[in-house]
Amino acid sequence: MAEIEDLEALQERAAVAVDMAQAAGAEHAWASAHSSRSIQCHVRDGVLERMQHSHSRQLSVDLYVDGRYFSHSTSDLRDEPLRAFMAEAVELTRALQPDPFRSLPDPELYRGRASVDLDGLDEGLASMDTDTRVELCQRMNGRIAGKPGVLSATSVVSDGRFGSAHASSNGFEGGEEGTFVSTSASVTLQDEGDKRPEGDMGAAARHLADLPDADWIADEALARARARLGASKGPTKTTTMVVDRLAAGRLLGALLAPARGWAVQQGRSFWAEKLGQGLVSKVLTLTDEPLLPRAMSSRLFDGEGIAARPRTLIQGGALRSLFIDTYYARKLGVAPTTGGSSNLVVKPGKGDLAALVADAREGVYVTSWLGGNSDSTSGEFSLGLRGHLIEKGKLGAPVGEMNVTGNLLELFSRLVKVGGDPWKHGSLHSPTLVFEGVSFSGA
Amino acid sequence: MTAGTAMLTAPAFLVGCGSRPARTATVAPAATAAPDNPFLEWFAIDEARLRRVLAELGARGADRGELYFQHTRSNSISMEDGLISSAHAHVDLGVGLRVVVGDQVGYAYTEDLGEEAMIAAARSAAAIAHGGASPAPGAFTAAHLLSKSGGFYRLEVPWSDVAVDRKLPIVRRVAELAKAGDPAIDKVSVSWGDEDERVLIVDLDGRMSLDRRPMTSLYVSVTAARGEDKQSNSSNLAARQGVEWYTEERLAKVAREAVDRTLVLFDARQPPAGELPVVLAAGASGILLHEAIGHGMEADFNRKNTSIYADMIGKVVAPEFVTIVDDGTLPHERGALNVDDEGVPTERTVLVDHGVLASYLHDRISAKHYGLSRSTGSGRRESFRHVPLPRMRCTTMLDGPHTREEIIASVEKGVVAETFTNGQVQIGAGDFTFYIKNGWLIENGKITAPIRDCNIIGNGPDALRRVTMAADDSKLDTGGWTCGKDGQGVPVSQGLPTVLVDRLTVGGTHG
Repeated sequence: MAEIEDLEALQERAAVAVDMAQAAGAEHAWASAHSSRSIQCHVRDGVLERMQHSHSRQLSVDLYVDGRYFSHSTSDLRDEPLRAFMAEAVELTRALQPDPFRSLPDPELYRGRASVDLDGLDEGLASMDTDTRVELCQRMNGRIAGKPGVLSATSVVSDGRFGSAHASSNGFEGGEEGTFVSTSASVTLQDEGDKRPEGDMGAAARHLADLPDADWIADEALARARARLGASKGPTKTTTMVVDRLAAGRLLGALLAPARGWAVQQGRSFWAEKLGQGLVSKVLTLTDEPLLPRAMSSRLFDGEGIAARPRTLIQGGALRSLFIDTYYARKLGVAPTTGGSSNLVVKPGKGDLAALVADAREGVYVTSWLGGNSDSTSGEFSLGLRGHLIEKGKLGAPVGEMNVTGNLLELFSRLVKVGGDPWKHGSLHSPTLVFEGVSFSGA
Repeated sequence: MTAGTAMLTAPAFLVGCGSRPARTATVAPAATAAPDNPFLEWFAIDEARLRRVLAELGARGADRGELYFQHTRSNSISMEDGLISSAHAHVDLGVGLRVVVGDQVGYAYTEDLGEEAMIAAARSAAAIAHGGASPAPGAFTAAHLLSKSGGFYRLEVPWSDVAVDRKLPIVRRVAELAKAGDPAIDKVSVSWGDEDERVLIVDLDGRMSLDRRPMTSLYVSVTAARGEDKQSNSSNLAARQGVEWYTEERLAKVAREAVDRTLVLFDARQPPAGELPVVLAAGASGILLHEAIGHGMEADFNRKNTSIYADMIGKVVAPEFVTIVDDGTLPHERGALNVDDEGVPTERTVLVDHGVLASYLHDRISAKHYGLSRSTGSGRRESFRHVPLPRMRCTTMLDGPHTREEIIASVEKGVVAETFTNGQVQIGAGDFTFYIKNGWLIENGKITAPIRDCNIIGNGPDALRRVTMAADDSKLDTGGWTCGKDGQGVPVSQGLPTVLVDRLTVGGTHG
């Protein structure tokens, strides 16, 4: 049975699955074999609270039979069960109806894979022993548990290793293996009355050495919790909004959700037919960067096998590219790009949080969001938030129980500044963002 | 649930049994029981192997521990533009192994049910413990088995036996109904899901529980166009029901809802910003309970001192007419369970009794922590890959003394919340939100214009105190709600009568 230590074995399983699918009557097939192992360690208030070991594997296959398409997956990768699974899968596919838009990607798109070493595997991490994880977790916890006013402090270290391999009947072959690690800490404090404000911080990387210092993570979680003490309901007003670099992802995610082929083709996208148009602020330039060494979501090919390349999504406020996979490209009658994002990078500007807050003079600094949603067709959104008032160019009292509401395209047309302080410990690299004239509702 | 004699036959009897081992029977040796023993058939394991794995799991001592075997067959079908655009079939099979020592948990899982893999996983899980070996069970006892006639969601025809050609006409029909719903409807997409899940839970004491859990869902979304203006919205159905549940009437209703909820958006606006009275329409508005109090009552947050409700049991938290329950025993509801994921029979738990905070939702760890004789049957997990945690099931408020008409008439300026997409809560600070997709303005006691897309934010205990009226029209929502916590999603249901919260912060624009 395939183990993650053996990418070749996974490659062999994927190739065998394609052969079996074709032997069972499929014209075309795409198969992926995936295996992963991970350990998650939780320490709460100085005690090892949970140690969780995961070992997972899966095989999935996309079948194209008589113009019909069906995907199937199983966790049983052995020869005989796989053969039976495939025979049943092909039969099931025949029961569907033909969909003329379904096909494997044009094999031309598989070619031209970048010859860059993504360096996504940390051998040291892969061989780290359990005690080291617990020690790291305890070290973070030791800086926060039992401190004045702390009701509860939890630290988590999670890491793992994965391998995946893909093969297709029209010539794709590829695999990748890698490691990931994340550290996080959360703190609950006693406030006036029954309120127990929380603060947290976390980061993720492919190599252990690329994580921020664990002590900093713990200290930052405590500082963020302490900053919430005495929080009150914020005001109802229209003012400047400064968004923490860690909170920027929620807004950018909402902005990009309708940039996918599915949304465009189904008439559920405010980006539809807007390629080339400058709809948001000129200070926004956003790229998809799949080839960054050691970045969280780097890849040489996407989920369909299309060779990955950097892509500008928004340049100086103008829409330059959408996420279009093979299926929706055929439905829309356009060329495919890629089905989804890898590492999203906001082109940095100048200044850190303190400088941007000083410039803003008055407003609201958002540290995190609570609930909320957006409409990808109309762009209307409304999000709950917590943060601080900005008074005379400095961070002031903590506020919560507020919403920010409006239209996404209009909001991003009010983006006036992008900081020079991007956060790089995740799949989105965004600096601090500053918007003017934003509608808040509170007391 | 009724007590009775336990027998391990397939499909076996439903037997409630809170305490072990009185009135429970010993499982016959696997070799002779093979044809009748459902766990053998489902998971291809025998009693001897179970005993060896349990011995390894308890080798370093444990207060408690269990094996959670799961086999799930799930199918999904999508239709777009009149074509079946994708279908997916998945088989998930594996076992999760847990060791509990006090509040500490060691956990591992494997998708390989071979003895070697299970023993290795048992060793990983047991590493958290440092004591002497717990004895492996001498005999297995059937604590909770399946019923031939009972159970909260037994199906005549399980989903595993329903062929795809019975599902396609349902998907096609609901798409046709939605497309024909109005000339403005431009696009229709339908997502179908069905699932047949079987679980077997065996703990270190040898208690064995079985459950077979069906689930199905149908999601209809539409885009309508009027000139350049486009709007989209959706409606959905979900329950532990079988294929016969999808009657023409039910399909027509969900299609109609999707169309109506979309068309109204052409004229809807975001409401004025600020604090307003909020009327929660009966049904899906149960999201208020889920976020404002339900999560805060999950006992893990309380034993860890991180919930705003941690010191409030026995205190008055709402007006006298407010009674809130979390119920796992409502037949065929999405949040129903015969037995929870720790093998404890589920129940109806009163969270707030006539305004007084009555009980947390417990798993076995928190029940022990609080010195209770048993949990509330609230230990749930997403799958064998996850540890069980205290979770909600079907959360509802019982009828109040007012009527919907009285409530609307009492509001001078406010909003009615009717459909929702999502909500969230901060357990410690108590701040919670829910997002209104469709609603209405109330002006001078009358419903006037439609509103849309606004987030509501409030503080849990404050919002409960501000429930000033509740009507006599409590109902459950049939939508497919999934509750997420600690990275795990579990199906839940919710319901509410028409309720007035006299002040919440409404996300809106200022113009």
